[in-house]
Amino acid sequence: MSNNDQSQQITASKLSASRKELLDLGAAAWTRLKSLRVETTATPLANQPSPYIKATFDEKVIGAVKELQVKAVHNGQDIFFYFEWGSENPNYTIGDVGTFPDGVALLLPFKGPDQTPIKEMGSKDFATNSWYWRPDFEEKPKNQIAHGLSTSLYTQETSLVSVSKWEKGTWRVVLARPLTVKEEAVNLTPGTETAIGFAVWEGGNGERGGVKAFSKEWRKLMLEA
Amino acid sequence: MPVDQKQLTDREKELANELQAVKDRLRTCKKQVAMVMDLNKCIGCQLCSMACKTLWTQIEGREYMWWNKVNTQPGKGSPKDWERMGGGYKVLFGGKVRDPVRGQLPTRTDFGDNWKFNFEEVFASKAGGKHLVASNPDGSAPNWAMNWDEDQGGGKYPNAFYFYLPRICNHCSYPACVDACPRNALYKRDSDGAVVVDQERCKGYRFCLEACPYKVIYFNFIKKTSMKCIFCYPRLEEKVANACARQCTGRVRFVGFLDDKAGIIHKLVNVWKVALPLHPEYGTEPNVYYVPPLSPPALDEQGRIDPQKERIPMAYLRFLFGPEVEGALRTLKQELEKVRKGGKSELMEILIAREWKAMFGPFAADPAQLQRAPSKG
Ligand code: SF4
Ligand code: SF4
Repeated sequence: MSNNDQSQQITASKLSASRKELLDLGAAAWTRLKSLRVETTATPLANQPSPYIKATFDEKVIGAVKELQVKAVHNGQDIFFYFEWGSENPNYTIGDVGTFPDGVALLLPFKGPDQTPIKEMGSKDFATNSWYWRPDFEEKPKNQIAHGLSTSLYTQETSLVSVSKWEKGTWRVVLARPLTVKEEAVNLTPGTETAIGFAVWEGGNGERGGVKAFSKEWRKLMLEA
Repeated sequence: MPVDQKQLTDREKELANELQAVKDRLRTCKKQVAMVMDLNKCIGCQLCSMACKTLWTQIEGREYMWWNKVNTQPGKGSPKDWERMGGGYKVLFGGKVRDPVRGQLPTRTDFGDNWKFNFEEVFASKAGGKHLVASNPDGSAPNWAMNWDEDQGGGKYPNAFYFYLPRICNHCSYPACVDACPRNALYKRDSDGAVVVDQERCKGYRFCLEACPYKVIYFNFIKKTSMKCIFCYPRLEEKVANACARQCTGRVRFVGFLDDKAGIIHKLVNVWKVALPLHPEYGTEPNVYYVPPLSPPALDEQGRIDPQKERIPMAYLRFLFGPEVEGALRTLKQELEKVRKGGKSELMEILIAREWKAMFGPFAADPAQLQRAPSKG
């Protein structure tokens, strides 16, 4: 079900800025644009595809990140998403067996959002596409396709790029991609609307995989013509 | 907080059943291979470990892994203190319910990291000028490794004791690792029941490492996936026994199908009941079994042999192998006595393993005789 609340929709305004300009966290556009505040909550334990996680994790502990600030723009060629969230102790890499990197992702439905369950990352007939960023992916985020819980797979190719920085308790990440790509992914068209969901991982809290914070409902995503 | 079944929506209930069905399928197999290791014969030579290392764990982030390792008991083992790290199940109602137990993740130094040695420095110095030193990749001095506490053992003089415990993945019948993986990357192979990690599905989330109570899964820091003993399944497919088993100097390891009624494994596990799983209370139903170590007699204060007392405390063996260990040791002693008196014992004949190849059941093929294209080296 998508959220019809007007204040909960995100508009990717059209700018005539270059890819290089927008792949800069300090770009004027990012300072100027208003962000959408997205509330994120723990993924429900009931949906965890692991009896182990279900039985031994605590929903009250999962989902350390409670909100995400999101902005979006496109320049007719590429689309850019800007994320900002609080993380006191950043985890950059998998330094040890018990270390998990932080992360953020967005989720897009291939078909109608109303038939695509966001809590299950889609279903057999209603697939989803996610753009998955982690600091250890070295600015080459993963493009994923999922047909339901525990089915997501990285595609071989990815047109995604990113820039990121952690500073004074805040992660800032820009994720970008051409509106239309060759690999299996949701292509985006200016002047149309679709839906979007988000997930965020606090590695220091042992979050990885389905143990994360996410937006429970689809938000409307409009692309300015 | 566990999931409150009453609060679930219809879809959540349906989903839970679907997900459970997937796990049930992943942990079933048509046939189950098993290994029996006779601890009375293990001399701790680590040839099994080296055979495994040479074959499977020399490159690409696997260098620090020991899919086969031999630890000295009593000891902290590898990873250090693994028996205190949780995981596995609390078995309730005679096995009808298995409640997953939260596990801890070891550190890479708990395993013993991939040490670097100052070979060049030693080579370039005058004789005795520089000694060989090991260091962890981060430069720190190693303070643990596989079998770090070698031959330390337990007990007090004159009743100090130790024995060796070779460990691999147990290829469990109720594998906690399979249950734990949210990606369904772990599964039991249909044809032999070996538990493997699908490297394409694994995303390196390490829930399996947490949940395995034996802590035999390793994380590959280069590939960012979990890796573990594969029971040499490519060899089994060609009827060749595991590298650790064929390499074993002590004729310690028997390999075969558990349900092969004429096979040695079945005889040792189910007929003679002298081969037992390690820590059966972990609830994962291992398919690696151990013939427990017989004890030399204890000595009294004056150093006289006390034939009534065992050197290895029964409580310790019970801790490792469960209550069945007493019966197993009784049987072993009875049969040993029979032979000592000039009689015959089928059990002792099996354990002596005069015919080396007979230890490998259907996997007695000689790898040197296989017809296949040479590898590109
Ligand atoms: S020993 Fe651990 S890794 Fe091996 S099958 Fe059992 S639970 Fe899984
Ligand atoms: S090769 Fe055999 S005898 Fe040597 S340590 Fe391994 S199991 Fe024991």
